[in-house]
Amino acid sequence: MGLLTILKKMKQKEREMRLLMLGLDNAGKTTILKKFNGEDVSTISPTLGFNIKTLEHKGFKLNIWDVGGQKSLRSYWRNYFESTDGLVWVVDCADVLRLEDCRQELSSLLLEERLGGATLLVFANKQDLPGALSKEAIREALALDDIKTHHWCIIGCSAVTGENLLAGMDWLLDDIAARIFTTD
Amino acid sequence: MDATEEISQENAFYDRNGAAKIHDRIQKRQQALAEDAERRKDAKKSHSVREEKSEYFLRTFNAERAAIQELLTGCSGADRPVVTQQLEEATAKMTQLQKFLNDSVIFLSQYEIRVAQTALQKLQTSLSETREEALPKKKFAFRSRTKAAEKGSDCPPPPETAGSGVTKMDGAAVSKQADFSNISNEYLTKKSEDIQNRDVLLTHLTNCKVRLYGSPSTLHLKHINACEILCGPVATSVFVDHCSNSILAFPCQQMRTHNTTDTQVYLHVTSRAIIEDCLRVSFAPFSWSYSTLDQDFSASGLDRDRNNWSQVDDFNWLAAGTPSPNWTVIPEEDRKTTWDP
Repeated sequence: MGLLTILKKMKQKEREMRLLMLGLDNAGKTTILKKFNGEDVSTISPTLGFNIKTLEHKGFKLNIWDVGGQKSLRSYWRNYFESTDGLVWVVDCADVLRLEDCRQELSSLLLEERLGGATLLVFANKQDLPGALSKEAIREALALDDIKTHHWCIIGCSAVTGENLLAGMDWLLDDIAARIFTTD
Repeated sequence: MDATEEISQENAFYDRNGAAKIHDRIQKRQQALAEDAERRKDAKKSHSVREEKSEYFLRTFNAERAAIQELLTGCSGADRPVVTQQLEEATAKMTQLQKFLNDSVIFLSQYEIRVAQTALQKLQTSLSETREEALPKKKFAFRSRTKAAEKGSDCPPPPETAGSGVTKMDGAAVSKQADFSNISNEYLTKKSEDIQNRDVLLTHLTNCKVRLYGSPSTLHLKHINACEILCGPVATSVFVDHCSNSILAFPCQQMRTHNTTDTQVYLHVTSRAIIEDCLRVSFAPFSWSYSTLDQDFSASGLDRDRNNWSQVDDFNWLAAGTPSPNWTVIPEEDRKTTWDP
């Protein structure tokens, strides 16, 4: 093994990020993940368990964990908190009935000590649906402005069309990179 | 005495041949050094990592690229499932290739990186073009939705403050939903134009018969008791929550069932149905029909040939191998075949 290979491995390790994608069931977490990875999104079924994808973006190696959002799975979320650099919270903007549920789950996540250092990106998903609330409405409903403990940003997107997914991910990566790779 | 004699003899020998001897030695030494250097060079050559050569990179990269290109050209004119599979494969290969490039960046020259990056980008474009061509989006659903979305995104900025904006958005969302709520003992119907592409919400219904002719975007059923609810093809998800003693029938992409008991579902589902906190839910294939069903099916974009009605995931039953006790398949002889009253 050459010295270059060793150097390369070290460098790679440094540029790795761990992102955790959570949200209520049917928010579109798996769809976002697959769309971001350029896969077919028409055959996705409700996530029983979790998906992990490793992909490269902007020179970073991203390990994205997409954990199922069904009620019975939410108690397992905490198993995935360790060493998370970024939290992606996905909201189904057309699901007005469960916005309160959504707010509660998010605020309890943010109290979690192990997520203390993580940057929060809120995806206001399903903007392509006619009944979807705007990202401003979601921002208010989730009381995002009260969050003082984390860097956060809300972005309206559509996982089905792919709109704004990259913009959101770029913001998240930049914010995390500014925090942990300051020497670069 | 002997020893001194020997030394003096040797000295004498040196004196005689000294110069020639040293010269000889120097030559030998030089030769050895040269051989040594040669050997080290060889060793170095055999040790350096094959993968860190730019010719190796170029060869592998080009071979992979050609393979993907071939996959893409193979897509034109092939059957839908074949195309889907090939596109999937191409996408996976593309990711691998990108990763390979990223891994190799450190020993490539700027120029090589740029060339490879451009090639990849080109490939990505042709992949999405092929996908667009081979698996076109359903025109109807796509157009109407984008139009609606554009309208939605255009209107919020005007005069109102943030607070009033929210209530207005709530109002808009509600008015866009076609609902039935708090009704008992009635026969309820909706026509296509009322529900097409909308979110339909049915709540607190008791002992009702509901017929929804058309293709809604999503269907929410909440607090339903002793009802018979039939609906045309639902483009995305159906949510069922707190439903009991009822009969449901619809085609949809996903079905998510919660807190439901003693309910029969006649289902066409292209992805999966799931149940959570449910008891005695039973499933059979969708069998209701009405005059414009075919039309609504194509409007919803659902695949008529893919029905996973019997593959139900129970989130309270994660044991693989043993079937969940919370749901069953309705035996064929017990299935409902006539629907209209």
